[in-house]
Amino acid sequence: MGNVPILISKLGKVYATAKVRVVALRDVNLRFEEGVFAAITGASGSGKSTLLNLLGGLDTPTEGTIEVGGRIISEMSREELALYRRSQVGMIFQSFNLIPGFGALENVALPLIFSGVAKRERRKRAAEMLARVGLQARASHRPSELSGGEQQRVAIARALINRPRILLADEPTGNLDSRTSREIVTLLSDLNRDQGLTVIMVTHEEALAWEFASRGVRLSDGAVQAEEPWR
Amino acid sequence: MKLRDHLALSVANLWKRRLRTALTVFGVTIGIGALVSMISFGTGMQKNVSESFQSLDLFNSLTVFSQDFMAGERFDPDERPAQTPPPGAPSVVIDDRVLGKIAALKGVDIVFPDVRIPAIVRFGGKEEFRLIQVVPARVISSQMFRFSAGRGYASDDEDSLVVSSSLLKQLGVDDPKSSLGKKMVISSIGFDFSRLNPADLAAALGGERLPFVTEDTELTIVGAADNQAAFGPIPVPSDVLLPPGVAKRMKKLPFSNIWDIFRASAGRLGYPALNVRLTSPAFVGPVKKEVTGMGLRVFALADQFKEVQRGFLILNMVLAAVGMIAIVVAALGIVNTMVMSILERYSEIGIMKAVGASDRDIRRIFFVESSAIGFGGGILGFALGWAVSGVINRVVNYFLAKQGVPFIQYFSFPPWLILGAIAFSVAVSLAAGVYPAMRAARVDPVRALRHD
Repeated sequence: MGNVPILISKLGKVYATAKVRVVALRDVNLRFEEGVFAAITGASGSGKSTLLNLLGGLDTPTEGTIEVGGRIISEMSREELALYRRSQVGMIFQSFNLIPGFGALENVALPLIFSGVAKRERRKRAAEMLARVGLQARASHRPSELSGGEQQRVAIARALINRPRILLADEPTGNLDSRTSREIVTLLSDLNRDQGLTVIMVTHEEALAWEFASRGVRLSDGAVQAEEPWR
Repeated sequence: MKLRDHLALSVANLWKRRLRTALTVFGVTIGIGALVSMISFGTGMQKNVSESFQSLDLFNSLTVFSQDFMAGERFDPDERPAQTPPPGAPSVVIDDRVLGKIAALKGVDIVFPDVRIPAIVRFGGKEEFRLIQVVPARVISSQMFRFSAGRGYASDDEDSLVVSSSLLKQLGVDDPKSSLGKKMVISSIGFDFSRLNPADLAAALGGERLPFVTEDTELTIVGAADNQAAFGPIPVPSDVLLPPGVAKRMKKLPFSNIWDIFRASAGRLGYPALNVRLTSPAFVGPVKKEVTGMGLRVFALADQFKEVQRGFLILNMVLAAVGMIAIVVAALGIVNTMVMSILERYSEIGIMKAVGASDRDIRRIFFVESSAIGFGGGILGFALGWAVSGVINRVVNYFLAKQGVPFIQYFSFPPWLILGAIAFSVAVSLAAGVYPAMRAARVDPVRALRHD
């Protein structure tokens, strides 16, 4: 696939119901180079999660385009978007979003089901992935039997199981204490440095973002307020 | 996504909500069970009727009447208008010459006159009044008769008879076998011609002495018939059957019904009717045409069978409609369960979509789940229908056996019903899963992930 620059141009997103019209994003123009560790900050309601959902192919913009690896994802069909989510990006969330009834290994292996990977292969790859995030001993534990940090590690392993080039993190430390938050962001940073993984992290913890991210984007009221290379 | 994974996911989901799954499956089970027993009853009845038609050779049988037989009576609804004789045309008398002509037709196997004798039957100290039918030995040994014990008489002159199992039962014989070889007395009634003088007739009118005599003939029971064809114009099977040779020797009224008496007075007494058996049902049409051409009327049960089958089609449809009500209720149960399942698994669906499940994947997960419910319900429903109809069959037969009715399978479970019940159950469940599956596939992952 070569370079994976992410090109966002004139991006706008409006949530319209019968009564209200909420402008979540307006005229956002951004470019992320491959291998970048970018932090998107801003107050709550500034549109940062909306931007991440659009990048992750979970939502479609009202206007503008998003181009990833030469393909315009904002014009993809629902079926193509599912394939994009499955193969090009991995996502983690503030609330981890693990399936409660599944063990850690099964949660990590879940995306492989939709890729049509056979069970034996799924288990092998999921076990490898769990080892990489340091949780090989917790493979059969349910999410409720894991700490917050461990759950987020399982989520990271799941996000990376299909070997995507981009990892999108939506407030990954929002539910964690400061020590664990640091561990998780360090893990993301290591993955970025060691494997060239592009990481785009939405966070409101600016200090943490300053320390680890190589680029910062601050959103305010759905528009880019500041954009700076930090390192 | 592989089918195996779909199945594993669905089974895991259904298992997680065991009680609800079990209740939904139970609903389908009842629906399919009701439908299966209804349809098996319909097909069972149809099978019984067509099998007995077939085994009793009724498709090969015709009855021939003279034109004025039961004139004005409606006994052949299909053919009556066309066969009304032109007024004043001489009516053909069915005598041995006509019988010979019909016997010579191509495809005719046996022709024998329909002769019934009113008589009192005595056996083991009990007696019953019956119309006794005269049947040649060749016919009694054919597949028109089924014997529960013994056999038919071997010749037309043998001093023996065949009796029905149900008459034996009424005479107090429970095991037909025990009656074989024993003597039965047939007390036939005849005119006493010696007393046909005015004085005696006057006395008879006074009720003193009727010009009738009875004559007892002792015959050996050689066979007990279970099932037999109802020949001729009287659609009631006779309970006692005699060889023609024996009947000739008996004193008897030569009439089987009141019409014969009028005919006899007009000097045109022939046989009231002829029973014709063909070598194959294919000859029904041609023989019917020939015999009609002789100026006689023909009645073929094969014609009636079409009507009977139309009746069964309607019966089956009515039964299926009753069963369908239960199915519709069960289908609503599935819709309810699946919609509940979407609400419960809202965030799970969001997660699956976020990690790359397509709309189609989600849709299929739900379709596989609802069809799994249908499959389980189909199998259990068939088993339920089978069990319930087995019980009903036993109960009904228990009561009918007391009245001398032989054991009958009222329900029929052909292989297509097994496969059809399961396939139909799955199809209904799939249909019930359409709305929930579509709704699940359209779940917006962004909203679903914000859900909790």
